[in-house]
Amino acid sequence: MIRVESLTKVFRRPRAFSGPLGPLRTLVTRRYDERTAVDGVSFEIPEGEIVGYLGPNGAGKSTTVKMLTGILTPTDGLIEVGGRVPWRDREANARAVGVVFGQRSQLWWDLPLIDSLRLVGDLYDVPAARFTGSLRRMCDLLGLDDFLHTPVRQLSLGQRMRGDLAAAMLYDPPILYLDEPTVGLDVMAKQAVREFIAETNRIGRTTVVLTTHDLADVEALCRRIILIDKGRVLFDGGIDDLVTAYAPPRRLVVELADDETRAFEIAAGSSIPELIARVSAEHTIRDLSIHEPDLESVIKRIYAESER
Amino acid sequence: MIRPLAGMARIGLRFQLAYRSDVIMSVLALVAQVFLLRMVWTSLYGGQGQTRGLSLEALLAYLSLANLQAFATSPIIPRITHFRIRTGTVFFDLSRPTGYLPQMAAFQAGHTAGGLLMLAPAVPVVLLVGTITPTAHPVGYAATLALGYVISLMMSLLICVIGFWTLETGAISLLYRLVSHFFAGTMVPLSFFPGALGVLADALPFKYMGYVPAAVYVGHISGGEIGRAVAVEVAWIAALAVLLWAVWRRAHRRVVIQGG
Amino acid sequence: MAEVLRTLRLYGRLQRAAARGALQYRLNLLIGVVTGVVYQGSGFAFVWVVMHTFPSMGGWSLREVAFLYGLRLTAHALYVLPFSSLIGLEWLVREGELDRVLLRPLNPLVQIMAKRLGVGQVGDLLAGVVLLVIAVPPLNPGMILFCLAAVVGGALVEAAVSLALASLSLRALNTLALRAFADDLFSKFGSYPMGVFGGAARWALTFVLPVAFVAYVPASVLLDRTGELIVPAPVACGSPLLGVALFALAYRVWRRQLRHYQSTGS
Repeated sequence: MIRVESLTKVFRRPRAFSGPLGPLRTLVTRRYDERTAVDGVSFEIPEGEIVGYLGPNGAGKSTTVKMLTGILTPTDGLIEVGGRVPWRDREANARAVGVVFGQRSQLWWDLPLIDSLRLVGDLYDVPAARFTGSLRRMCDLLGLDDFLHTPVRQLSLGQRMRGDLAAAMLYDPPILYLDEPTVGLDVMAKQAVREFIAETNRIGRTTVVLTTHDLADVEALCRRIILIDKGRVLFDGGIDDLVTAYAPPRRLVVELADDETRAFEIAAGSSIPELIARVSAEHTIRDLSIHEPDLESVIKRIYAESER
Repeated sequence: MIRPLAGMARIGLRFQLAYRSDVIMSVLALVAQVFLLRMVWTSLYGGQGQTRGLSLEALLAYLSLANLQAFATSPIIPRITHFRIRTGTVFFDLSRPTGYLPQMAAFQAGHTAGGLLMLAPAVPVVLLVGTITPTAHPVGYAATLALGYVISLMMSLLICVIGFWTLETGAISLLYRLVSHFFAGTMVPLSFFPGALGVLADALPFKYMGYVPAAVYVGHISGGEIGRAVAVEVAWIAALAVLLWAVWRRAHRRVVIQGG
Repeated sequence: MAEVLRTLRLYGRLQRAAARGALQYRLNLLIGVVTGVVYQGSGFAFVWVVMHTFPSMGGWSLREVAFLYGLRLTAHALYVLPFSSLIGLEWLVREGELDRVLLRPLNPLVQIMAKRLGVGQVGDLLAGVVLLVIAVPPLNPGMILFCLAAVVGGALVEAAVSLALASLSLRALNTLALRAFADDLFSKFGSYPMGVFGGAARWALTFVLPVAFVAYVPASVLLDRTGELIVPAPVACGSPLLGVALFALAYRVWRRQLRHYQSTGS
């Protein structure tokens, strides 16, 4: 469905000059500052997969998504989405993708939600009969009925996000890009968003690319993740593989009689009962627990390694 | 009392300099404006000598001066107040120990100083295009201009205070700018205004921001008339001070009671 | 053809939505219209006041200058009304609104134009049309057609300059002040008979920045004053076509620069 090969994006900006005539010089300059935001990224995503596209701020996530949607033209490399080259065939590509930015709504601020949805239906040439069906389905899945006639500016963040999801999926695009769809939402709203994404993927076999900083989103939805930093792919594979490959060792944490807490690393392949026996021979153990590494600590470790 | 106001003035100055690329363009627009007026008026005079007591040279000098003055003293605080009322940050200003109006006045003064700095490189060009020669009444010019600036400042403060009622001063301050520029005589000296329009322009205080000082400079107003103009300016300042004080008291009470 | 109809239909729907949003702030709208009338009115008041003393400006009577002024204002309003959201292009880029525009299957420029109806600029149109109606000379049907074409052509000349400069803003440049300056030159110098300007200025206002073609040249044709022009009479008669040509050129620049759009680069 999505194929990306040695994708590169270099931003060129006219050099900003200072001084009283600086702005004018900037306007006519031939000198540029260059910055490589995406540096030879390759991956393939088959139809119906949900992929988490992760990386720290400034890693090149948004730039990649903007190239996948045809907003930005790549400096080098190859992109194909559903057999099309997005930047060359932007409008046709636009009809095949839904995009949600968690930080920015595509809804018309001063109009009731239903009007925004109608306009989106018009823009994507959804026939009236199909629109009615689609709208019904969205209302059921996302519970929009309560605020369908409320102006968007009066909606809560969670309601607005549900409206945005409906707008992105009204025309049944086979691909959905989500850029931090749960940012700022409360626990219930996050849950509703995740359920909608999972459901859409299950029923319509929608391919989903999800960028997020909330790893709970990833754990709930994705089986595969692509990790990038400084424009390069650090890891591409299943979450389970990631954890086995990069997980720091599990730890035995014991609380001792004198209120002291100590942690012991459990080396791969070693026996836990033996370790406990060894520790209890030297100390009086009051309580103990085994700490499994979580996704967050795994990812932290990978970033730390790529820093070196 | 002085320290916080000096701080406010410094912010006003920096504010002006921060937007210097815009300011450069508006300085260019100012030069274009003076150039346009020079062309149009030269063509209108078409070799005539004095008209309405002004020779072409005196008129061109007058127009250049009036436009320089209008540019340097253009009010910023109605826009600032508008922004701060809309975002609610005005309450920080109100909670400071220094009064709101002195703060705004200091900000405007700093902004004007910044405007003069930005204007410095343009002055020789404008003087050249506008053919200005030294004045015979330096003291009269300085006095009428300084008092005129105080009048302009107080009118701006009045617009700010009105913002506490209307919560919207964007359009009002634009209207004010247009009306005040027109009646200040930045494009036509007041002596050319016909009939009732002339009477109106003469009665309004806007003329002290442009026409009166510039006319003193070129000698169109001279002798005892200068003294009379200064006296009327002082009277305007006193009247505006009373008005401002009364309106501010009501506005302040309104803000405190309503809490926005 | 079907694509053109679809574009027009969608432009209408988006524009209507924008207008409905704006109509919720009626007072702001009203003040905007009044400000427009006062702004343009005070500009003409200058002409009216000085021509009280001097009956002729560059050989033109008050009525002729008023016609020229009205022609330019109407053309200007016709450009600002649909293109008012182009003025805020830097803002659209910075807020990521342009990203959303590019995500939709409709011509990006049409979407930007439909973001906002310059209802506030209705004041300019009002002032312009009033002046035109008061000062219009007797015209035969052919000249009326030319007058309409001239208004559209003049609007396209201003739109072309504004669009070409705005295109540069797609490459992370800020041209807002520059565009405001160009707009200012059009408003300041476009409304006077060019005879009042000296040779060099007049040449520049005709051939460097085509200010003269917005209203002065077509007005000279309608007032039978082509003799004083510095372009040949047949060129003057074809002046509305210049607007079309310049706008087509500016649109090509826009398309090219859109390819180099850098988004907010985050």
